[in-house]
Amino acid sequence: MANDKNNFQLVANGILAENPIFKLALSMCPAVGISTTVMNGFMLGVAVLFVQVFSSVTISVFKDYIHPRIRIPTYTLTIATWVTVIDLSLAAALPEAYAKMGIFVKIIVAFAIITMRLEMFACKEKVSSSFWDGLGMGLGFLVGMVVIGFVRELLGSGAILGYDVLGFKPLLFFILPSAGFFVVGLMMAFFNYIEDRYKRSKGQK
Amino acid sequence: MKDILTIVFRLTLSCILAGTVMGTTFVLTNKAKKHNEHVKEERVAYSLLGFEGEAPESVKINSVHRYVLSQAGEQFIGYFLPAGEDAGSEFVFLQIDLDGNLEAQYPVDIAPEIAADPAEQTAAIVAAIGPGKSLRYAEKYQFITDGGERTAYLIAGKFPGFKTHIAVMLAMETDFSIIGFEVLEHEEDPGLGAEIEQEFFKNQFAGKPFEVLKDLDVVKAPIPDEYMEALQVELPPEELEKVMEKYRGNDIYALTGATISTVAVTDGIKSMVKKFAYRVSILDSVIKDQNISVSI
Repeated sequence: MANDKNNFQLVANGILAENPIFKLALSMCPAVGISTTVMNGFMLGVAVLFVQVFSSVTISVFKDYIHPRIRIPTYTLTIATWVTVIDLSLAAALPEAYAKMGIFVKIIVAFAIITMRLEMFACKEKVSSSFWDGLGMGLGFLVGMVVIGFVRELLGSGAILGYDVLGFKPLLFFILPSAGFFVVGLMMAFFNYIEDRYKRSKGQK
Repeated sequence: MKDILTIVFRLTLSCILAGTVMGTTFVLTNKAKKHNEHVKEERVAYSLLGFEGEAPESVKINSVHRYVLSQAGEQFIGYFLPAGEDAGSEFVFLQIDLDGNLEAQYPVDIAPEIAADPAEQTAAIVAAIGPGKSLRYAEKYQFITDGGERTAYLIAGKFPGFKTHIAVMLAMETDFSIIGFEVLEHEEDPGLGAEIEQEFFKNQFAGKPFEVLKDLDVVKAPIPDEYMEALQVELPPEELEKVMEKYRGNDIYALTGATISTVAVTDGIKSMVKKFAYRVSILDSVIKDQNISVSI
């Protein structure tokens, strides 16, 4: 087993060191298209979190039986199965939540971050580590989406969580998909800068 | 060769496994899902018609079912509707040819509770019209009557959106002007096309008369401030009515970044209403000309 991190480090790794959006730059299309408000970002984040955890665990359980030549179809199949199961169960058990989350769940099938995590981690590591890694990656995605959503909603519609806080709309541009890239890029730069400063200050000590 | 067989075997097995999981979930959840959808539809219908939770005593919601009937290579339209009190049967099935003339009418005497089940209903109609005809269910319309007087129509429909289908429920006055509509199901992009669910978008359609609706188009322009306030119901009632009146003849303002979804909804609703108005006019003229006793 290549992994020598404990569970907490695995979760923290997904949120900070290997944040899917700011560090790995994966699943950018949905991230950019949907993170127009805090709520949208949160919903998509929760949906990804569940699918990522379930898929990681499933692949980890069956890793010895998956033929290396057909890993990718197997991953896709696993993700599609979990997306369908979550979609159907949500529609049956929690119709109110489904009304809000339904559209987010269905678009996850094509997310790069989930496939990539199955390929890089879950197919090599033991089940418990895969669970924590999936949780970390899901949370990392969720945090990233909420942060981007916060900036875009504030600048684009002058509101937070639907409540008008500014009283005017500073830049409608931020609602549009292309602005998502600007926000992600600027945040990447910001986080890298902080990290850089942190590392330097440590190195100097 | 051995590799191919292993790959085929394992992939097949994974597919069977995945299929079993999905199938089981579907079987376990389908009933609850259907029930939830039914409850939602009822709630949407009541809110569109402006009833609070429950319909008043005098109001009746009558279902009219449209069928396509083929007989000896010819196509007919069939309507299954509740018969009048003096008709001697609970329901009546009208067979109308494509020119709008009545071909035949059949009394169908089954209890309303049984007719509510689509399979039972079709079986009863087949028994009533006799052999040699094939019957295909098309759709359901709801005619709202208040004390016997027709007050509104309620129809559900589906049309292609930007990604998949958009399902809506639409309420109309008797002159086919729109009371309002509600999106039942869609998979448009959140933040863009999914904005079709917003009040301000849906309210643009409310009150549009049939004449305006016939040539309704989409304009790519920002919604004027006063109209936006009216659409979001932020104005006092008298002023709101004045602003809405001012924009009544206007086209639909496209959602920012989601022109395709806007056009899809506009065209979808336009064609739903046009077809419905055409069909109802034929049905009504047949009922009137032949003096058929119905309760719609």
